[in-house]
Amino acid sequence: MSEIPFKNPGWAGNTGEFDLTEEQVRGDDLVGKRPVDGGHPSGAASYPYMVADRNPDATLFEGPYRERFEKILSRYPDKQAALLPTLGLAQEIRGHVSPESMDRVAELLELSPAYVRGVATFYTMYNKQAVGRHLIQVCTNVSCNLCGADEVLEAFLRYNDVEPGETTEDGNFTVIEAECLAACGFPTCVQINSRYYENVTPTDVPGIIEALRSGKAGER
Amino acid sequence: MADTPATVTLTIDGREVTVPKGTTLLKAATEAGKDVPHYCYHDGLSSPAQCRLCLVEVEGAPKPMPSCVTQAMDGQVVRTESELALDMRKGVLEFYLVNHPLDCPICDMSGECNLQNYVHEEGREHGRSREPKRVFGRDDFGGDVLYYGDRCVMCTRCVRFMSEVEQDHRLTVVERGSRSVIDTFFEEGLEGTHWHGNVVDICPVGALVSKDFLYKARAWDLTHTPGVCPNCSQGCNIDLHVRDNLVQRLKPRENLEVNAFWMCDYGRGNYEWINRGDRLEAPLVREGGSTRAMGWKDALSRLLAGVEGASGKGIRAVASPFSSNEDLAALRALVDEFGGGEIVYRSARAEDEIVLKGFPTLARRRDLAPNGKGADLLGMKRVGGDDATGGLEGVAGHGGIVIVLGDALADQGADFGSAAALYVYLGGHGGPATANAHFVLPTATFAETEGTFTNFEGRVQRFAPALDAPGASRPAWLVLNALVAERTQGEVPRTAAAAFAVAGTKAGPFAGMRYDEIGPRGAVVNETVSLSGD
Repeated sequence: MSEIPFKNPGWAGNTGEFDLTEEQVRGDDLVGKRPVDGGHPSGAASYPYMVADRNPDATLFEGPYRERFEKILSRYPDKQAALLPTLGLAQEIRGHVSPESMDRVAELLELSPAYVRGVATFYTMYNKQAVGRHLIQVCTNVSCNLCGADEVLEAFLRYNDVEPGETTEDGNFTVIEAECLAACGFPTCVQINSRYYENVTPTDVPGIIEALRSGKAGER
Repeated sequence: MADTPATVTLTIDGREVTVPKGTTLLKAATEAGKDVPHYCYHDGLSSPAQCRLCLVEVEGAPKPMPSCVTQAMDGQVVRTESELALDMRKGVLEFYLVNHPLDCPICDMSGECNLQNYVHEEGREHGRSREPKRVFGRDDFGGDVLYYGDRCVMCTRCVRFMSEVEQDHRLTVVERGSRSVIDTFFEEGLEGTHWHGNVVDICPVGALVSKDFLYKARAWDLTHTPGVCPNCSQGCNIDLHVRDNLVQRLKPRENLEVNAFWMCDYGRGNYEWINRGDRLEAPLVREGGSTRAMGWKDALSRLLAGVEGASGKGIRAVASPFSSNEDLAALRALVDEFGGGEIVYRSARAEDEIVLKGFPTLARRRDLAPNGKGADLLGMKRVGGDDATGGLEGVAGHGGIVIVLGDALADQGADFGSAAALYVYLGGHGGPATANAHFVLPTATFAETEGTFTNFEGRVQRFAPALDAPGASRPAWLVLNALVAERTQGEVPRTAAAAFAVAGTKAGPFAGMRYDEIGPRGAVVNETVSLSGD
């Protein structure tokens, strides 16, 4: 595993000054398993649901996370402006943004809890409920839909035996519907955590799921 | 530098209007007699220009402009009813109806709903959407507010009221797109805020409705009568909405110098006492051991005869701060006529003021009666505690004439006034303490007569009768002034205006005022009287 301190130019809270290893930030399962085509090595990890510890009961903003929170604050002219990255940090710690997290963020940033809830629910990349290790987002917008996205979504749901938004019993997969993922040239597009799976058809579904389950993601 | 004119002249729908610089097109159009449909814009709030309904055509502009934020400019040519503008609004309205449940028959807002009105005026006859509508159901916001998400047009007036005016950011837009709803922080609700009833008023559709008013009356069955809120000394301007001779709800009426567009929840919810059914309905006269109901003429002539026998031992009077200036002045005139004496009144005080942060001259005042100031100006003295009890020791056992106006004496025992040579009670409700009265005279409440209140800052404001007084009840000013006139052989003031003139003779501050000249914003005592219609 990597010993190099993780440097992330894309994540507002982390500019590399902190002693977080890549594992701590990205989680063990994806370190060294970057997208096949390369991509930006840090962009993927910057997405908030790529958590090191998915612990819904974790104390918010303590230790290194407190330092990162302070760092976030220092980058904005006022506390309200720091809301989005702070919510992102809360999601990184707990895996999703729960009502308690929103309340805590509101308290820290001196905002009203209702306002924080409004912001958190506006952005789809904040998970309002706990999700599995792999968040499978199936695009069902126009292009994908015309190319059979509904069937792909159905296949993911049936293969995992879940309803949309539900997590499998082993805590591995959550399947949700997504609006346009901006991959209209390659329908159906499915985003699993930070990775795009393009031109997915229902027959690909078992392979993708099993690859993820066996930890061989990215070797499709 | 050349002088820049403070006004601009523009043409709206072919009509030239001149408005102050900085006026929005929406307000300028109102000047020109055109009401541009709008949801998100409200005079008391900021303009986010997000409802897209007030779009108008401006000559030379590349696309329609939202009139609520576009400032009028010199020489501008605006069309609010051109084909383009109408087409634009028709399209916007069609979008509003895509998910609207059209449940007008069971919606409280029906009849005063801006969606209903605008669609009726400018919308399509039939919708074209064939998609199923999304359904949210209703949400209890706590306090007096229910939220029907399906009816909501997302104008965010309520969100902005709470954040800008009440300055307690409890409401927010949750989710996005067609899933958006207004909500609080999960179960937090609006409980504990003191002005949230206003979000129901400013909601242009039936999304936010009052629990108190829910399914009580249809909007078109209500008569609206301008009045003044009787629940504290702020004197908020209100409309009394009445059906079947019962007040169904109170709504704020615009007066930028007193309450702007708002009123507090305390005042709004405190109207049931006006509807009390157990009213005195005929003059009651106690002669010997029995009490008889009789006509006014008989009762008053007996009263005057009684005064002859009782005068000489002094007169004590109790007034009520819920009585109008006219009533109080008439009482003052009568007491003076009977030889003069002290008039006291009792008035409740709340723990503290509840200030509306975004409009800090408006507050639920500590003084929980509308006319304590008027009583003070007429030389009456406040006695008793902060719960409006006690303080009547000097009156209860008085041996001369005792006159009580309006105060129900709820805390007084059955022996109140038993020693009085003549005990006259004027009010709407009887009680144990009125049992000894020689004369019980039924009088009208503020909601049943015309008159004025003087608010805490000395602003005299008129109110109109909204209800019919029960039975033979008469305004107290008419009864009291008739007694005075009988004694002095003078003329009985037959109008509230004439009764108000009596106040001018009894208290200097009222002397400079004329009833007819008290405009819709009221007039402050010892200040220039604003002209009516101002």
